Amino acid sequence: MTFAVALALFPALPRDASAHGHGIDAVLGYLTITTAVAFSLMLLILLAALVLHRGRDRVAHYTHGVRPRDRAAAIVAGAVVLFGIDAVAVVRSASALRSGFWRYPDGDPAAYRVEVTAQQWAWNFRYPGADGVFNTPDDIITLNELRVPAGRPVYLQLTSKDVVHSFYLPNFRTKIDAIPGTVTRLWFQPKETGTFEIACAQHCGAWHYKMRGELTALTEQELVRWQGRAAADAALRYDAADREAHDGWPWMPAP
Amino acid sequence: MDACTVSEEHQRPTDPAHPAPEPPASFWRQVVFSTDHKVIGRQFLWLGLVFLAVAGTLAMLIRWQLAHPGAPVPLVGGLLFPASGGVVSPAAYTALFTMHGTIMIFFALTPILIGGFGNFCLPLLIGARDMAFPVLNMLSFWTMFAATAILTASFFTPLGPPAAGWTSYPTLSTAVGAPGVAQTLWVLAIYLNGASSVMGAVNYITTVIRFRAPGMTFFRMPLTVWGLWLASILNALFVPVLAAGAVLLFFDRVFGTRFFIAGSAIKPGGDPVLYQHLFWIFGHPEVYILILPAWGIAGDLLSFFSRKPAYGYKVTVGALIAIVVLSGVVYGHHMFVTGMSPLLGEGFMVLTMLISVPSVILGVGWLGTVWRGSIRLTTPMLFALGLVTVFGLGGFTGLFLADVLADVYLHDTFFVVGHFHLTMSAAVLLGAFAAIYFWFPKMFGRMMNEPLGKLHFALTLVTVIVTFGLQLVLGYAGMQRRLVDPSAYAFLRPLMPLNRVVSQAAFVMGAAQVLFVVNFFYSLRWGPRAPANPWQVGTLEWTVSSPPPHHNFAEIPRVFVGPHELGNPAVKAARGVDFQPQDQEPPA
Repeated sequence: MTFAVALALFPALPRDASAHGHGIDAVLGYLTITTAVAFSLMLLILLAALVLHRGRDRVAHYTHGVRPRDRAAAIVAGAVVLFGIDAVAVVRSASALRSGFWRYPDGDPAAYRVEVTAQQWAWNFRYPGADGVFNTPDDIITLNELRVPAGRPVYLQLTSKDVVHSFYLPNFRTKIDAIPGTVTRLWFQPKETGTFEIACAQHCGAWHYKMRGELTALTEQELVRWQGRAAADAALRYDAADREAHDGWPWMPAP
Repeated sequence: MDACTVSEEHQRPTDPAHPAPEPPASFWRQVVFSTDHKVIGRQFLWLGLVFLAVAGTLAMLIRWQLAHPGAPVPLVGGLLFPASGGVVSPAAYTALFTMHGTIMIFFALTPILIGGFGNFCLPLLIGARDMAFPVLNMLSFWTMFAATAILTASFFTPLGPPAAGWTSYPTLSTAVGAPGVAQTLWVLAIYLNGASSVMGAVNYITTVIRFRAPGMTFFRMPLTVWGLWLASILNALFVPVLAAGAVLLFFDRVFGTRFFIAGSAIKPGGDPVLYQHLFWIFGHPEVYILILPAWGIAGDLLSFFSRKPAYGYKVTVGALIAIVVLSGVVYGHHMFVTGMSPLLGEGFMVLTMLISVPSVILGVGWLGTVWRGSIRLTTPMLFALGLVTVFGLGGFTGLFLADVLADVYLHDTFFVVGHFHLTMSAAVLLGAFAAIYFWFPKMFGRMMNEPLGKLHFALTLVTVIVTFGLQLVLGYAGMQRRLVDPSAYAFLRPLMPLNRVVSQAAFVMGAAQVLFVVNFFYSLRWGPRAPANPWQVGTLEWTVSSPPPHHNFAEIPRVFVGPHELGNPAVKAARGVDFQPQDQEPPA
């Protein structure tokens, strides 16, 4: 009964909006299939034994010590998992990481840079403004609202004001911790426009569940239009004396 | 002689000058401050079972909230959460999952398996009269008792119970995120719990090395002893690392140091991530500390109730040792999303993946043991088979989390929750139940009720698989852990019906444990008297009366064979039984 309900409700991965998400989905799929086969095989053998070899009347097959074929069985099973699942997953993951998730767009002039400061319980986003330099009076600042271009790399540097948070984009299959005293980084590339949720994945206090933001991927024209409005707002709100608000940092070079 | 030193004198096999010592006469020395490993084992078992009930109740409250966010808890809501009209508030919810995890890991599963069955079984199974350090053993229990008292006190502090998660990462667990005395009490309780574990570990390691009966070579030890011994080695090596983290966190909270609080341009400071390293250097071996004894017990029981020797015993022991070694060098996979360097990430990924190889070899051993056996589906056997099934499911899902790419997506989601509950909670719990049903006759001298035990097993196994299996599905769909109300996110709202199914399964699981409680207490008082060897197996504890006499063995046994000599045709022909007691010379 519960299984039937569960199957009917079986949810899939969230929609993939990232240019690199398919790499993760492929590895997840590979692991799901191979481990499901391995686990089913194990269950099948176990059930067969329970059905065929059960009961007081049976005489158990006595073996003693480790015979060469026992050793062989262990080696074969280990090798199948090592080369059939582990090695394939490691190689595919490492290549996806090196060609995508870990290949930060440091030299890319098209990369769209944003600084993220997490706090209990909100996300602060700082855009460099017209001068392209962070922590200057023309910075644009938004709360819980991240606006980025679709089709270009988005490059984030993150830190936290108080406790450890984790910046999680389910639709982009990625996350990174925001840690006080440290700047971490993350990049992704939206492949389509639309609004997606930003979640906090690390327990950060009682209102952790409310630490929700929205990411909007815009076309270049929409982005320019929004930047114009936002820059005007930012200029109005800018207060040179409010040192608390100047929590940006000069963009960190690649480590 | 001084009871605090290694009493190898007691171990001399047949020396009439050293008869088994008499039990103490006073009530206090016999029941409360006893140095008898069997009494201390029962004390740990009781303590663990009480806290298992507490932590299980907390889990029910968590599941209620996730099934019906914002609805008052029925029956007990008004009593537990009067300020919010019976509703689990966000603050209360964080306290619930913090205390559930802390108690389950440190104060329920560890005391039951390592404290309870470790103490009770270890000397009996290797043919010793007691632990190497009986007084230290007593101190280990009372240190644990102090830790539980402090943790219990933390429930009743003005600003509420600890709520920084069982991992208690700074800076959430420092004064920055957790003012109030509760978190300080948590740190103290964890420290004392660790001290108790290390005392036990030193004792177990020494006892196995020095106190094995003559002829009890390492490769004649039951797998239960191997599991407990290897877990003790991990305990002795890695619990002190957690203790170091706890001390520094205590300093940060109480003396204003800044080990884990980041500095600024004008104020020097530390690094919150340092704590995560210390925590997981301990934390990853800890999951093996929990599962190793359960693996050992399952290995023995599968052999006993298939009536044939454990398949590839030495290969299994080799796999256990390989896992123990690897468990110390893989902790980084808990920190893949902290911004770890890619080189480290890939290294930890490869090392973690390697654990699957000895794990699969372990599985081959289990399957090979039951294959072509003469399987008896007793309650302990059923729980051992349940452990194999549940651990299989949980173990394979570990590969997802070892893989950096998949883990970046799955980290901090319910996939992790499902995975670790299957492996280090449900599998360990099933192992604990197997141990209780199996050794209850030896511990308390009475048999437990089999039909009730089987019903308990069936309900527990099905609900465990549904509850934690569906949590994997929820995590796969992206649902984060530790959300008091997942429907705060639009992408999680379609998952709420599935959350309700998980909760319903969990409630049935909780209710099914009443069968166990009834069986336990009924059997304690009215169960049929246990014979010395009700399961017809050959390990040493079954060669003495049920329960065993004060110092176990009137004469230290001499061991001739391994622990699993079942179904040997030569023994059957000579003696008419299918098992060979370890202390009997095998027929020529």
